[in-house]
Amino acid sequence: MTHFFKTLISRPPVWIAACIIILCILPFTLSDSWTSIATEIIIMSLAACALNLMLGYAGMVSFGPAGLYAVGAYGTALVMTKTSAPFIVSLIAGPIMAGAVGCIVGWFCVRRSAVYFALLTLAFAQIIWTIIFEWYGFTGGDNGIVGLPTPDILFPIRNSYYFSLLIVLVALFVLWRIINSPFGKTLQAIRENPNRVEFIGANVKRYQLAAFVISSTFLGIAGSLYGVFSGSVFPDYAYWIKSTDMLVVCLLGGIYTFVGPIVGSFIYILLSKIIAVHTMYWMLFLGIIVVFLVLFMRSGIAGFVSEKLYSSSQSDKDASEVTE
Amino acid sequence: MAGQALSGLSVGMVLFLIAAGLSIIFGTLKVLNLAHGTIYMVGGFLCYWLTSTLSGVAGEGAFWIALLVAPVLTAVIGGIIEVALLRRIYAEEMLYQYILTFGLILIFGELCKLIWGVGYHTVSVPWPVDGKVFIFGMSFPVYNFFLIGCGIIVFAGLSILIRYTALGSIIRAVTFNREMANALGINVPKVYTGVFMLGCWLAGLAGTLMPPMSVVALGTDMAVIIDCFIIVVIGGLGSLSGAFIGALILGLLNAFGIYIIPRLAVAFGFILMIIILTFRPWGLMGKPE
Repeated sequence: MTHFFKTLISRPPVWIAACIIILCILPFTLSDSWTSIATEIIIMSLAACALNLMLGYAGMVSFGPAGLYAVGAYGTALVMTKTSAPFIVSLIAGPIMAGAVGCIVGWFCVRRSAVYFALLTLAFAQIIWTIIFEWYGFTGGDNGIVGLPTPDILFPIRNSYYFSLLIVLVALFVLWRIINSPFGKTLQAIRENPNRVEFIGANVKRYQLAAFVISSTFLGIAGSLYGVFSGSVFPDYAYWIKSTDMLVVCLLGGIYTFVGPIVGSFIYILLSKIIAVHTMYWMLFLGIIVVFLVLFMRSGIAGFVSEKLYSSSQSDKDASEVTE
Repeated sequence: MAGQALSGLSVGMVLFLIAAGLSIIFGTLKVLNLAHGTIYMVGGFLCYWLTSTLSGVAGEGAFWIALLVAPVLTAVIGGIIEVALLRRIYAEEMLYQYILTFGLILIFGELCKLIWGVGYHTVSVPWPVDGKVFIFGMSFPVYNFFLIGCGIIVFAGLSILIRYTALGSIIRAVTFNREMANALGINVPKVYTGVFMLGCWLAGLAGTLMPPMSVVALGTDMAVIIDCFIIVVIGGLGSLSGAFIGALILGLLNAFGIYIIPRLAVAFGFILMIIILTFRPWGLMGKPE
């Protein structure tokens, strides 16, 4: 029997299928408020995985994912409210705008060394925030845009959940394929040693820019989904604190595994819902969590668990070899 | 117009103090201290706290005591950060240093909120720099000239320290090659702590000098750190004169920007940064990589 479970654990498709089935049944067992939290977790998973394409796989430390997330959200919201385009068009418009803005921002950010990349991403996200915040006539300033005309079909919260789940699953699958493609492998090689990749003849800056644009587009999808789900968009989406959320989610789950950010977003959002209710100083806890993770648990929870699993299955294998 | 230029230059000088600290720390430790603006903000709160508690005892002298004490306190905080946290992760990837200092923004921001609340605080302009002077029939606040003087003195002092003193040559040696300096018997960890404290002292000094011109409030840290990033992109990270020139340019741009388009004054600095990145990506005073 234990042998049966061991083989189960070592088969990712079984796991993924089980998770998807659980996610599909979930809304029937949850109240509306918990379904809404589950939707938040699902959307955050996508945002964090999109960020992690840069952070964990390409080794580019971006402090401004929230800027592009907000471009996606505002793109969709603006097309929805200012034009009479069908819903699906506005839903696609957000990510496309995020990708386009990501292309411009990324071009500047990859021009200098890694240090400048970090500070420029933060600076550009703050520009985006400032533009959204100050441009009252177009973006509504700090009032945001409320009461988005979302189609009736999304109205019971359960439908909204399934809609988000479907899009996020497809997006995650595409991201996973990108990461495991030759392109993704090149990014990982750049993370390990950019000079060597340059010597092979690959244009490192161009690869980094491509990673930036892809990551921005998927952040845009997440932002756009969140805007549709909550029915409103606010400048806060672009603020640096939102970027912190995404970074902590990645770090908490573990940046060197694909599932890390997903695990991270599950734990982080549950934790924030539980702790933030009881304290005004949630950010203080957050800061302490960040410092703790950096000092003591750099591979995150998923990294930690997979190390343990790997080493235990290794030792089992060794043990069985000895008995044989 | 002249008044705008003067206030732009004096804000530029304060920004120079912060950017210089950021730059020196990066040059020597190779750490980008994202929490540098937060140290500046802590300096501002300490200035407010010291002047308001000491004004009963020392009267007008309270600000001057704060000017001496607050930067030292921020330097001590910096020392604790370096020894207790940063030192543990120099060997790790850069990623973790960025994220650690990013976490410090949250911690120190929340501690300020916990201690001093969410309100705005002001500090009055201290005697004897509180008056106005008349030049060509126009009046200018003396405090602006005082700030410019402070900036120039610090710039000169730092340049002399780094170029002509024994301590400066040790710092330069560690900056140039850490391992070689270590092999020559220089206590590298001590130099790291010292330089980090110096950077935080500068940020604290800026934080103490700014409140009479502006307000002490939460959130000023992020505005200031973005300005510093623009300055180091313009001037080149690690270059003291680059920080000086970048700060002057940004100070003037912001001052005249508010004059022209109040709401989007920030845009001018960003536009300049984008121009520099496009045509001279290594900065005005930097060398091509």
